[in-house]
Amino acid sequence: MPRPLKVLIAKAGLDGHERGALVVAMGLRDAGMEVVYTGIRNTPEQIVASAIQEDVDVIGLSSLSGGHMAQFKRVMELLKKEKIKGKLVFAGGIIPDDDVKKLKKLGIKEVFGPGSSIASIVEFLKKNV
Amino acid sequence: MSDLSKLVSRLENGAALPGKLYAKTGRAHIVGITGPPGVGKSSLIDRLIEEYRRQKKTVGVIAIDPTSPITGGALLGDRLRMQRHSEDAGVFIRSLATRNHRGGVTDSTPAIVHVLDAAGFDLVIVETVGAGQDEVEVADVADTVVVVLMPELGDAIQQAKSGLMEIADILVINKSDLGATKTARPAIHTSAKTGEGIVELVAAIAAHHKALVKSGDLAKRRARAARAEVIRLLQSRMAESILRALESTRAQKILTDVTQRKLDPFDAVAKLAGEINHGNTSSYRRP
Repeated sequence: MPRPLKVLIAKAGLDGHERGALVVAMGLRDAGMEVVYTGIRNTPEQIVASAIQEDVDVIGLSSLSGGHMAQFKRVMELLKKEKIKGKLVFAGGIIPDDDVKKLKKLGIKEVFGPGSSIASIVEFLKKNV
Repeated sequence: MSDLSKLVSRLENGAALPGKLYAKTGRAHIVGITGPPGVGKSSLIDRLIEEYRRQKKTVGVIAIDPTSPITGGALLGDRLRMQRHSEDAGVFIRSLATRNHRGGVTDSTPAIVHVLDAAGFDLVIVETVGAGQDEVEVADVADTVVVVLMPELGDAIQQAKSGLMEIADILVINKSDLGATKTARPAIHTSAKTGEGIVELVAAIAAHHKALVKSGDLAKRRARAARAEVIRLLQSRMAESILRALESTRAQKILTDVTQRKLDPFDAVAKLAGEINHGNTSSYRRP
C-alpha cells in the first residue's frame, strides 16, 4: 500500500503567527496527508533535521514576520549541504512579489500568499510530488 | 540518520525487517509512555530526553498520533514539544500515524522498535496515541510502561479499573503544578512545565529495569512480547488472505445471501471457512 503523502509544516525564525500554518496543516490533513506540524520558532537547522528524521516528501515553510529571505535561504542551503534530494519545498505567508521570484530561484517550488485556498495548495502538491 | 529514517519508512509501509537485524536487538531499554490525550506525554518525553542526554544516554523516540478514519490523513503534533532536540545527533524522533490500527500503537511499532534498538540507542521511547481505557498494546512492546495522568482525572474507582491503569509499571501524575492529587497507589508527581519530578521519574524507570533484570522478569516479558509480535503479524497476514479469498464469486454469493437474510452470519462463516486456503503459504512470505 503506498503511504499517504507526508508533509512537514514549520514556522521558521522569530515569528509567532501560527494560525495560517495550522490552517494549512489541518487542510492537508483533511486531504488525506500525514502532516508533521513542528510549530513556531524553528531554526532552519531544526527544520532540516526534522525533515530527514521524519522522511517527509514535502516541506512547507511559513513566515509572516519578514524573515523569510534569510530563514528560507538557509533551509535550502542546508538541504543542499545534507545532500537531501527529492523533497518538494513550498512556502506561505506575507512575502513581497520581488522576494517570491528570488525564493523560486533558490528552489522553492511555489509561494502561497494571503487568500490562497487550501484546495489550490492540495492540487499543487498532488500535481508536483 | 537519513538511512535509518528511510528504513523506518519502509517498515511503516509494511516491509519486512532487513535479514540480520533482529539478531542485533535486545540491548535497548524500551519504555512505553501512555495515557489520555492532553496529559503532557510529549512534553514529559521532552524533559526525559533532556535528562537522559545529561546522563550521556542516546534516545530514539516513536511518537504516535491518530489517523482519520474518514480521510486517512493525520496531524502529527507530538514532535513539536520535543523540537529542541532535533539537531542532537544522540536523539532520533519519528512521528507515526496509526493508519487505523487499534490498540494505541501502529502495526509497524514492534519492527521500528527493533530498528532503533539495533541502531544502538540506549533508550527507545514509544509514545502511544492519547489512550483510552482499552488501548493497552504498548504493554506488549515495552519493558517498562509509564502511564501518565493529570490532576482531576477521576477518583479511586477510575484508578481501580482494568485496562490502562493495570498496565502501569510506573504511574505519573503530570501537571502537578496545577495542584496536589491523591492516588490509590504510589505515583510520581511531575511537571513538564517546571521540570519537577523528572529526575525522580528517570530514576524510577531505571530502577524498574534493574528490578526486571534481577528478578528474571525481563526475559519473561520479552518472551511474551516476541510471542505477541509473531501472533499479530500472523493475524494480519491471515486477515489479508481472508480478504483476498472473499473476492471469489462463491464467497460473494455467500455474503449476498447474508444481506438478503437467507443465511445468518454464523452459518456464513462456517461456509466461508472452506473458501479460505490457510495452507497457501505464499500469502505469508516476507513482504
